[in-house]
Formats: sequence, C-alpha cells, structure tokens
Amino acid sequence: MKWLAVLAVWAAKLIMFLIKLTGLGRASSLPGKVALRVCPSLLGHLGKQTECLVVTGTNGKTTTANMLAGILEHAGYTVLANREGANLLTGVATAFARSSTLGARINSDYAVLEIDEAVFPVVIRWIKPRLVVVTNFFRDQLDRYGELDITVSKVVEALNKLQHTVLVLNADDPLVARIARESDHAARFYGVFPDARLAGKASYSREAKFCSFCGKMLSYRVYFYSQLGDYKCTQCGFGRPQPDTEAAAVQSDVFATLARVRAGNDTRQMALSVGGLHNLYNALAAVTAAQLLGVKLETAMDSLQCYRPATGRMEIFAYGRKQVVLTLVKNPAGFNQALAGMLAGGDNSKDVLMVINDNAADGRDISWLWDVDFEVMAGCFGQFTRFVCSGQRAEDMALRLKYAGVPVSLITVEKDYRRAIASVLQGEGTVANIMTTYTALWPVEKILSRWAERAGQHAPYGMSHVS
Amino acid sequence: MHLTVCHMYPDLLNLYGDRGNVIAFVQRCRWRGIRVTVREVNLGGPVSFTGCDFLFIGGGSDREQQLIASELAARLQELQAAMEDGLVVLAICGGYQLLGHYYLTLEGRKIKGLGLLDFYTTAGARRLIGNVAVEAELNGSKSVLVGFENHGGRTFLGAVEPLGKVLRGYGNNGTDGLEGARYKNVYCSYLHGPLLPKNPALTDHLISLALQRKGMDGKLADLDDTIERQAHEAMVQRLLA
Repeated sequence: MKWLAVLAVWAAKLIMFLIKLTGLGRASSLPGKVALRVCPSLLGHLGKQTECLVVTGTNGKTTTANMLAGILEHAGYTVLANREGANLLTGVATAFARSSTLGARINSDYAVLEIDEAVFPVVIRWIKPRLVVVTNFFRDQLDRYGELDITVSKVVEALNKLQHTVLVLNADDPLVARIARESDHAARFYGVFPDARLAGKASYSREAKFCSFCGKMLSYRVYFYSQLGDYKCTQCGFGRPQPDTEAAAVQSDVFATLARVRAGNDTRQMALSVGGLHNLYNALAAVTAAQLLGVKLETAMDSLQCYRPATGRMEIFAYGRKQVVLTLVKNPAGFNQALAGMLAGGDNSKDVLMVINDNAADGRDISWLWDVDFEVMAGCFGQFTRFVCSGQRAEDMALRLKYAGVPVSLITVEKDYRRAIASVLQGEGTVANIMTTYTALWPVEKILSRWAERAGQHAPYGMSHVS
Repeated sequence: MHLTVCHMYPDLLNLYGDRGNVIAFVQRCRWRGIRVTVREVNLGGPVSFTGCDFLFIGGGSDREQQLIASELAARLQELQAAMEDGLVVLAICGGYQLLGHYYLTLEGRKIKGLGLLDFYTTAGARRLIGNVAVEAELNGSKSVLVGFENHGGRTFLGAVEPLGKVLRGYGNNGTDGLEGARYKNVYCSYLHGPLLPKNPALTDHLISLALQRKGMDGKLADLDDTIERQAHEAMVQRLLA
C-alpha cells in the first residue's frame, strides 16, 4: 500500500500549497483529512518510521508538547510536531504529511504529538508511541465526551493495548496517578513539592475527591487547584506517588516562574518566561519526558529558558504603553487559572474582554461558565474599568458576571470582535486581559496582532500561525 | 424575611454548572433584601429537611448518583413528608431521575430510585444533547424556558404533571414532547444551562412559593432584568425564530 501513502502525502501537500497560496485558513487539519481519506492507514505507515512521543490529558497539551519539542531540538534532534493545537486525528495526519518527503518517508528523529484525550484511543491504533505524557484530567466540553470517569477509563484501556511504552504521569493529579496502578507500563512521575504557600483558594471545581479504587473521600494535606495537590486515601492507601522529577522553592506571577527542579541526583534552577503553576507542571512534564530520552537536565533548563508561549497561552502584547494578555480558556480549571493570573498581576487598572463561542470545538454547552469561580474577583471590582463580553454566547457571559457580583455598570455586550477589542485596548486601564474560547482565539489574535505588538517576536515556538 | 437553601451534595452532584441554580436563587433573594442561608449537605453529614425552604439537587456521574441514592434512602420518609408539606424543590437531570421509581440501565439492571414521584427512566443508546426550549405554565401564565440538555436516560411520567411542552430539543424522552415533572412544589427538569439564571421567571416563581409556604404573600419587588432578558432572548431567537 506504499503507493497509496505516497498519493495521500501528495494530496495533503497540494492542499497545503493551495491554502498558503490563497491565504485562507491555517492548513492545520484539512490536508490531513484528505490524506486520511486517500489512505486510511497513512498514520501507521508514517508513524512507524520515527519515535513517537505523545502528550495527552485535558489542559497543557500544547504547551507541554511545544516545550518537549523545543528541548529535543535544543539537544540536536530533528522533530516533527502538530504545534498548533490541532490535536485530532486530522491534525496529526497533517503534521506527518507536512514533514514527509514526497516518497512518504519521515526523516525526523522524533514526532512530538499532542493528542486530544478523547481521540487518544483512536490514534494509538495507528501510532505506537515510545512514551506517553498524561498532563491532567479536568472537565472539558462535556457534551462531546461524556463524563470525566469515562474519559479516564478510555485512556487507561487504550494504554493497556500498547505493548511497549513508558508513561510520564502527573503525581499531583489523582486521576492521572491512578493510571500507574491500572497499567503494566513503567511510569515516571513529576510533581510540585507540596508547599502550603502555593495552596489555591478557589475550591469549587474540584474534580475527583474520591479514591478511584475504593470510593473513599481523598484527604488533602496540601491542595493546589482543581484536584491537584498532596492527596491520600485513608482507606486503601492510594496516594500521591513520590515524583521522580520535582519542583520546589516555586515563585510564580503572571509573567514568570522560578523553581528549583530535582531530577534523580541532579538539581537545577528553572526560569520560565510564562507564569502560573499550570505552566510549571507543563515544564516538569516536558523535562521528565526529555530525561527519559537521555537529554541532560541542564540542556532541558537551557531550552526552557527560551520558551515563549504559543498563541493564546497567556501571550503578551503591547498596545502603546498598555500591556495586553491573551489567554485561551476552555474549561473551568483553565479559566480559574487565567483569573488567578490576572489578579496576581497586582491592583493596576484592568480592562477585560471575554469572548465565548459555542461551536463544536468550543463545546456546545456553555454551562461550564457557572463552574468557573468568577466570585474570586469579589472585593477587587475597583481594579476593573470594564468587562466586555463578546462571541456567540456574549449574553451568557454577561449574565454569569452579573451573578458573580460584577457591577452591572461595568458589563457590556459587544458582539463585533473588532469593536470589542478596540474598546479594551482604548480603555483607561493599564492592562487589558483578553480571554477567549477556542474558535474565537484565531480571529481575535488576528485583529489584535494588527493593532498591538507581540512581545518577544524572536520566539522560536508557537508563533507559526500560518502554515 | 429569611430563607434557607439546602444544596444537596454540591461536591458530588455538580455537573454542567448546576450550582448556578443556587447562585441565581440566592442572588435574586439578596437583591430584594431577603436574607438567605445556604446549607450544603454532604455525604455522611447531617441532613434535616425541617427549616429548609428551598432544596436543590443537581446531576452527577453514575457512581456518585448511586452513592447518594443509598444515603438518601435512609431519609426517605422525612423528605417525603417535607415534599407533601409543600417544600420547594428543584431537581435537575440526575437529581431528577433519582426522585423516580427506578433507572433501567442498557444492560437491563434496575437501579432503585427514591420513588418519591411517579415516573421511571430507561437508558437509551444515544445521549440526547442540545439546546432546548420548553413552554411551561408558571403561576397561570405561559412562559418559555431555555436551557441545554445532555442525558442518556429517557424518563416516562406516570401520575405527575410535566414541567412543560418541548418546543425545541428532546425533553424527557425525545418521543412524547414532554419535559420535566412537577408535583406540589417539586420541580424537575433535564435542563442545564444552568436553568435558573437564564429563566428568571421560574426563579422568581420558586422564591414566591418558598415565601408563601412561610405564610408571606410571596409578592416580589421588580428587578432590572435587562441582562437576563438578553441572554434568554438570544437563545429563544436562535431556537424559535
């Protein structure tokens, strides 16, 4: 069937060329879609020619995969990756087709693939990863995937169908750590030292408070956010495993994170130019995976120092003297992190834009907005000059803010993206925070990048929004 | 004026933003100067329905729902007496199913419900998912309720009234055109969204009922509902225009 794979690659490359020529779209999934139509087993054919490394889980996939790809390239390897968050089957096929030669050969040392947790079971029918990173499990777009329990079970089931693979697991997430017990694969853990200083205050959207094995309530010694922390089941003994890679002495604000990272006998200082505990987890996942592949801790730290966030992952722009932060929000855990980041930025005056869509890729059900702790802003409303709500569900966003106690005089609905963005850029605040769901991210970013300057233009990763 | 809200098992039955129903009930009371206390009832904790004016029960995943069914079974008589006495209840999705006779799984296993209301639920092969509009009669006047449904169960009513008629979407079972159930002051619905914030007419109706049960006239001061109306109207336009 080799000729079919060649034909599929040609078809994909032709479409990429046409998309580039016409400037329509980003060519991150259509070429793969067509290629798979031509040759359904394309991923099997291309995937076995390189070492596949998979990143899955709910949040942090794009960042973790980009960090891992960066570290491997820094260490001198060639890497192919689906870098734009196109993490369904078609996005993976596009990434492979892009890197393939016209003879359907892959010459990269590694393929770093971020894969949607719900699609993971399908992808591993074709791709046999050498290593699988699982970041975390949060509620995400429930209307597409059913409930969280089912998602986790499906990932475990799929992992158990693989013959040889190594798992890189988040020790601090009980829903991820449980996988080590339920599969025969070797596992390495990463985590953050349970320092009470880092404990989060919003506790509502915790996911699994119950032991996955015996059903008893988990007890937390230190609790970070959602269900992450230092947990233990007092009945059956299931608890946070001792991490192989652990960060301590953590300092984090909106723009940077410092930590001391211990991996085996080696300890190094880590400096990230992205903020938030969630990004620290992403970096730890990437470091742990890279170490398993023989990359030195020092090399990994060097590479992470140059990491710049991908579009919408707390990306910073400048509009005159005003700082603009663009953040993708797609579930309560991520939105809570974005709010915490915004409030951690200090009491400078803020203009806020929230853009909520309900297309299939955003999740048709926007009920999750009510699981976000907007109430953490209570008592800080003096810092805000306006809350502009946009997108297909702008009215629902406005409603949520009203019931979170935001003064109605600060809330406006502006469906037009350009006018919505203009109003927060021109607002009197010193910072503008823009939070958008998935399908609004690209149109918003496109308008924003025309009016505002992107900080760190030299960034090596995540900036390639045109393919 | 003071009302006590009982939020049943908020850390277990908390799917799809259902806590927004409690937020909406509480805020619309407070904006009118009605004091509210929210009591959260947790697994293994004390439960008392006396002194409760509004009881909210949401949906959870299967495992969590079974835990609760067995715990509530011990409080059945007390809960039944309160409902007969006119306790105002809102039960959503899984919480709704829990009040009926049973839930029949796809494998043919019958999970016992509380049997408080006359209906039963059978699992369907396909989940019923999407935006919904329902016509309901509240306090003698017709009103359109909007929300989002996502359920595998098909519920069939016996000797209880439906909450309303389906205008768009599936409702109880996708076949008989009915949505939800009501009995005395017990309101059941499959609508998430969550239901109360976007349907202030229903929220205010429940607040009135709770006040009336305490011997007050239940007349409520008007609020500025511009934002609520916009959100409601946007969905009505999308579904019915």
